[in-house]
Parts: sequence; C-alpha cells; structure tokens
Amino acid sequence: MLTGASAANTAGQDTVTCFHCALPVPGSCDLTVNIDGYDRPVCCPGCKAVAELIRDTGMSRYYELRDAPEPGVGRPLEEAAEWQVFDRQDMLDAFAERQNEHVEATIYVGGMYCAACSWLIEATLTKLPGVATAEVSPVTHRLRVRWHAASARFSQVLGALADLGYQPQPLAPENTTRPELIEQRTALKRLLVASLGMMQVMMFAVGLYAGDYQGIEQDMRRFLRLVSFAVATPVVFYAASPFFKAAWRGIITRKPGMDLPVSIAVGSAYAASIFATFTDGEAVWFDSVTMFVFFLTLGRFLEMRARHRSIDRSTALSSVLPNTATRVDGDDTSIVPVSQLVAGDHVLIRAGEAIPADGVIASGDTTVDEALLSGEATPQRKVSGDAVAAGSVNLDGLVTMRVLRTGSDTTLGTISRLSERARYTRPAFVTIADRIASYIVVALLAVATVVAVSWYLIAPERAFVITLSVLVVTCPCALALATPAAFAAAGSRLSQLRLLVTNGNAIEALSRATTIMFDKTGTLTRGHPKIASVMVLNSTMTEYDCRRIAAALETASVHPLARAFALDDTLPEVTSHEVAIGQGVSGVIDGRRWRIGSAMYVGGGTAETSQAGEDATTNVYLGTEDEAVAWFSIEDDLRPDVREMLESLRRRGLRIALVSGDNQEAVARLAETLGIGEFHAECTPAMKLSIIEAAQEKGERVVMVGDGINDAPVLAGANTSVAPAEGALLAQTSADVIMLGDSLRPLLTLLNMSSKTMRIVRQNLAWAIVYNALALPLAAAGLVPPWLAAIGMSASSLIVVLNALRLSRFE
Amino acid sequence: MSVLYVLIPLALLLLAGAVWAFFWAVGSGQFDDLDTPAVRIIMDDDTKPDDSEPS
Repeated sequence: MLTGASAANTAGQDTVTCFHCALPVPGSCDLTVNIDGYDRPVCCPGCKAVAELIRDTGMSRYYELRDAPEPGVGRPLEEAAEWQVFDRQDMLDAFAERQNEHVEATIYVGGMYCAACSWLIEATLTKLPGVATAEVSPVTHRLRVRWHAASARFSQVLGALADLGYQPQPLAPENTTRPELIEQRTALKRLLVASLGMMQVMMFAVGLYAGDYQGIEQDMRRFLRLVSFAVATPVVFYAASPFFKAAWRGIITRKPGMDLPVSIAVGSAYAASIFATFTDGEAVWFDSVTMFVFFLTLGRFLEMRARHRSIDRSTALSSVLPNTATRVDGDDTSIVPVSQLVAGDHVLIRAGEAIPADGVIASGDTTVDEALLSGEATPQRKVSGDAVAAGSVNLDGLVTMRVLRTGSDTTLGTISRLSERARYTRPAFVTIADRIASYIVVALLAVATVVAVSWYLIAPERAFVITLSVLVVTCPCALALATPAAFAAAGSRLSQLRLLVTNGNAIEALSRATTIMFDKTGTLTRGHPKIASVMVLNSTMTEYDCRRIAAALETASVHPLARAFALDDTLPEVTSHEVAIGQGVSGVIDGRRWRIGSAMYVGGGTAETSQAGEDATTNVYLGTEDEAVAWFSIEDDLRPDVREMLESLRRRGLRIALVSGDNQEAVARLAETLGIGEFHAECTPAMKLSIIEAAQEKGERVVMVGDGINDAPVLAGANTSVAPAEGALLAQTSADVIMLGDSLRPLLTLLNMSSKTMRIVRQNLAWAIVYNALALPLAAAGLVPPWLAAIGMSASSLIVVLNALRLSRFE
Repeated sequence: MSVLYVLIPLALLLLAGAVWAFFWAVGSGQFDDLDTPAVRIIMDDDTKPDDSEPS
C-alpha cells in the first residue's frame, strides 16, 4: 500500500526523497503531487509532470505495484528528444516492420526495473489512439508494439514512453529474431507433438491391453494398431528427430552420447511395432515409444529453458550505444541511424549524448565519461584531436567527431566479442563428463548386445522384447534429467529471489567456490558519490557555510560528483552561474564570485597541499580565483549489508579479495575499512584477469563479483561471475548471475542455494544409479515387459523432477 | 463398437487441427515469452481515472 513516507526507501538518510524517482528532494524545491489523497514530494518539475501524467491516466496503482525504486530511475530527461525523426521513411525502414496496415517495432525500454513498469507501459500505450498491441517483457526490457499506420505514428509511441520517464531505444528488426527464440519455438512444437501423440497412443493402448485380457476382434485390434502407428509416426520422425541426429553425429565423431541407446530403442521398437502391425504379430510398443520420446523431449525442453535464461547480448550492446547520430555534411546536419555511419563521417555530439562510434574529436572540447569502458570514474577531458570511444558519454561540451570505427569494430564491440569468446570456452569438467558418458553408453550397448545374444540362444522369440526392455529401462533419462531439472528449479526460484542465473554452469561452480573477488566501484560501493570529509582552510568560515555555498554552486552542474553536494536546506541565491568545462563551476553569491572544482581552477593551484594530495578520494575545492577556502573529499557510499555479508562469507571459509582499477590509496582504505586482507589496486582488465588465472592455477575456484563493461572479460574469465543489476548492461550479460536490487546480501542466498542444488543433484544421481542398478538385472532376466520398463523409466524420472522441485520452495 | 471406426479418425482430425493451431500460435510469436504471462495476471488495470480524492 502507499505510504506517505517514501523517504524510507533510502534508509539511513533523513532527507525527503522524490515520490517518483526516489532522488533526494532539494531543500529549495517544494513541488508536490497529490496521489491517493496525499501530497507527495517530488524533486523537479519533470518528475511532477510524469507523476501527474500517471495519476491523470488512472495509473496510480503503478506506485503500489512497483518494487522499491532505484534512485533516479524514471526521472524524465531534461530535453525531450526529437522523436519526429523516427517518422521518416528511412527510419521506419531501419527500425520498424510494415505488415499490411500495421507497423510493428521492437523497442528497448531503458529505465524500467520491475514488472509494474511493464504494466504501466502497456496500459498507457494501448490507450493511445491507433496502437493495436503493446507487450513488454520485464525480463528483457523489450517492448513489442503494433500500431495502425494511418492513425498513429512512431514518434507518438516513443514520445509517450519518454513522457513516462523511460528512455526508449528502437531496435533494428534483425536484432529481434534471435537464434534462441527459433530454438525455443521448435522445441515447443516438438514437445506438443510428443505429448499429444503420447496421450492419444496411450488411449489406444488401453484398448489393446484390455483386449488382450477380455478378447478383442481381430479387425479392431489391427485398426487400433494402425491408428497408433499413424500417431506415433510424427512423434518418432518429428519430435524425436534431434535424438537421431545427435546419435548420428555421435557415431560420426566416434563419441557416442546418451542419444545413441535412446535412438536404438526408439528406432527398433518403432520398426518392430510396424512389423507386428502389418503381420498381426504378438505385440506392439507404440505406447512405450511415444511415452519414452515425450519424457525425453520434456527433459530436453526444461534443460533448454534453463540455458536460455539470459538477456540477449546484442540488445545490451546496442542499448549502450545511441540509435541515431547527427551527421554533419558541410553546413547541413541530418539525423541518421547509427548503423548508417561509416568511417570518415563527421558527427555532432551534444552534451549528455552517448558517443555512437570510435573516432577523434574534430572540433570543440568537452569532458567524457568513460566509466563503462575504462572503469575510470573521473570524467576525462577531451580536446580536438583526442580519441573518443563508442559508448562513452559526452558530459558537457558540443563537439564534432570524425568517425574511425563503427559497430563491432569499436572498442566496445571488441570488449563484448572478447567476453563472448571467453564465455564459450568449454569448462573442463563438461568435456570430462562427456567422455565418461561415451563410456557409459558403450557399456550399455554392450550389455544390451550380451542380453540379446543370450536370450536368442535361450528363447529366440523373447530376445527382442527383453532387449528392448533393457534399452528402455537403462535409458539414462533420470540420469540426464537429474542435473538440468534441479538447475531449472533452482534458476526459477533464484529469479523469484531477484537473482538471475544466465549460465547453467554457474550453480555448480558456485557450490565449489573457494575464493570471492570483488570489484570496488559500483560493486561494494553504490556508485553514488557523497562527501566524506570537509577541510576548511579559511578560519573565518564554518564547515556548514562551505557546504551551503558548494551545494548552491553545484545546482548548475550536471557532473556526476555534483550529486554529492545536494543539501536539504534553503540555499543562498546564485547569480551569473558559469560552467567551465572539465574544471568546475563558478557563480556570484552575496556579491562575491565563488568557484568550485579542480585545484587548478580554484585558487590557481595554490591549495594543492600535501595534506590534500594524500587523500585517496576525489578532492573538490571551493574558493575564489585566487584562494582556496575549503576542500571536500568525495567518497562513494558502501552498499548496505556489505560488512555482514563479508563476515558471513568469511565464516563459510571463503577467501576474499578486492581487485579494482581505482588508485592504490582508495582501494587500500576500503580494504582496511572492510577488513579485507588481500587487495589489488590500479588493475587493468588484463591484470584482473591474470590475478584470477593465477588463483585458478593454484586450484582455487574464483567467483568474481563486479560490474562495468571493462570487467566483462574478467567476469567471463572467473569460474563464476556475479554482477549487481545497476552495472553496465553488457557486464550483466557476460555475468553468470545477475543480482537485482541494492543489497549484496543475495550473494549469500545464492551460495546457499547452489550448495542445496548440488545436494539435490547428488541425491538425484544416486537415485538414478540405484534405480538402474536394480532395473537392469530384472530387465535382463526377462521380468520386465517393455511397457513396464517405460513406466519404470518415467516414474524414476518423475521422482527426480519432484525432488528437484523442492528447490522452488527454498527460502 | 463399429462407431469407433468413425470416432477415432474424427478424433485424429481434431488432433491434427489442434496441432496445426498450436504450430500457428507458436509461429506468430504467442509463446515467445514464457515468463511474463505468469505475473501479468496479478496486475489489474481496472483503476478508473481520477479515483484519488483531491484534498
């Protein structure tokens, strides 16, 4: 339910937070929005407009449904983008698909963080005139929208999303048909054919079995068998085709897998049943065949679903890059899709825009936030001739750049390719498991052959039935299901607990982890700066005076560090604000011109004392042109529960290390604060990777917890990687597990869950082995008819699945 | 019992129809998202505009 105290969202701070976007409300702002009978504080006119829009369209329930908001999310952009551009024909060709009268587009919705967002978006868009359907997946943040070409326009859809405070990014259609999707569609069709076929054949089989006991007309029996044959045929040739193909591949590569005995059992039982059908033979086994295929297909489907629980990588990459760029042709500028940029083009980049390609600055100067690429939190100053990289954000200046590399050739593209490659390296234990599986299969086939030959010598007429029973009973079905079923159940439970597992191997690796390495910025810390200490250099001023002046000056700045200065008080009035790009801000307060910014900017470098230089944090100076009055050291907030979490990890006997690209002092101080013994500072991604590899060579199994695109290869190099949700999107996709929410505490849940999952996997494997050990001799002795073998196999699979489902109640 | 000779083929026709309908539904993308529908049900959108009491 709604409460008036939205401030509770930011525990530990008694400042009022915005009802809509959860950022602190500046003291000078007294805007409110009336929702559900209460006046809710909001931080800016933009948030007020969005909140009013949501209320006036009857969507107030959004605020009840949503999870605790992440500060800043949903805050509208300062400047409305020019969505009209997307109504142009070349844009529509690039980003939408025309289907008769309707146009369909897929849009990546930036800024949504929970299921309530998808409800709000769908409900709002479907109220737009001309919009036929709108569906949002909260998992992939994709919106699929269809509108009537004559009565609605693309720009209206995008504008409506932007009005709600989201950042819509149209996706090119080729990004939307993913191989996973095609695989899932095919698997669903196969599953349906197998399940419907199994049910039908089972009904006919009941008739046939009843007929065996009570007598049945010869014609009716033949008819029921023919019908069973008709239904079983698509099951064998369509639903079971992957098993035959895999078996054939296994034979060619001389690495027979579990599919080979499965294929032999299915193929021979099917062929023998056809023979019996047309020669009025003793029995048919269509029921066993279809049931067998169904359970195998179900197992494969569950396993596939577990594998697919990952966010599309290409989306993540394109969501960091802008969709459009302003191309400069002589004196004209035109907005073009980024995909149309080629090397040599000149592109205009405004303040706040992301850089669309790698290139060099042709004119203008600015500061650029390269945090995603280099991990460097401090914005970098760029002047004409400097190189800039795609994906970094132009903070304050208007520049033109010459494009050098685009798309996957850019630094960003290379990093993502690198992490992709690391991801697809097969872990050693999978290869070993495959080799062992080959031996098991060969052994099974040998046993079946021995059984067949023995029975042929004893009682030739029973040899086929018994061999079939042996093949079905020893089907490594339960064995094959044991692990994926447990992983699928664990994966879905973890996603309910706000942990997304994107790699099937993660749980196994986590359960055996010995070492956990943490990144610093954005992982242990929140990535939101605040003032750690204030040093007043001028004795006539109090600390609070300095903070008020600084807060007032910083209201004009969009610099990330400026947020640290926000103060809940009435601030002195500032006139003639000036922003010096890359240096600081100045303004006149009470007739005096103040400056805030770098040491060079304030007081001309006179304040760069040893005292200030010692400090590990970023220092910001306040003063006038000639004299520095105070300096602030800006520190990043620790995430909640970090200490408790580290303590619990230590109690589990895990080695904890800190690896960071940040400077030596800052990392050392954080390590000391948290009691982390081992830390590595000033690490490039390559160094981080070598630290991990060194630990792995000593036999340690490393869990890397980190975010940031520069971490992506590092995350992929660790045995398992975990990323907090706020991290750069690309890193999320290369991480094996994604943690949603602010706290790092879910890491403990994750470790507990993985141990529990592996326990269940071991139980399942033990059960499957015991079952096979009991069933094989019985079947070989001729005591198990094929239908019983199929039921026994299914029952053992069912037990395995039910055991795995216990994980979905894990607390 | 002879009615079975009619009823069973009829059932098979219905089955074929069901399979065709499902294949069509999968092909049109209705089963692409298997996660969202599970949570969609808990979100009503029956709130009328302006149900809040302005104070």
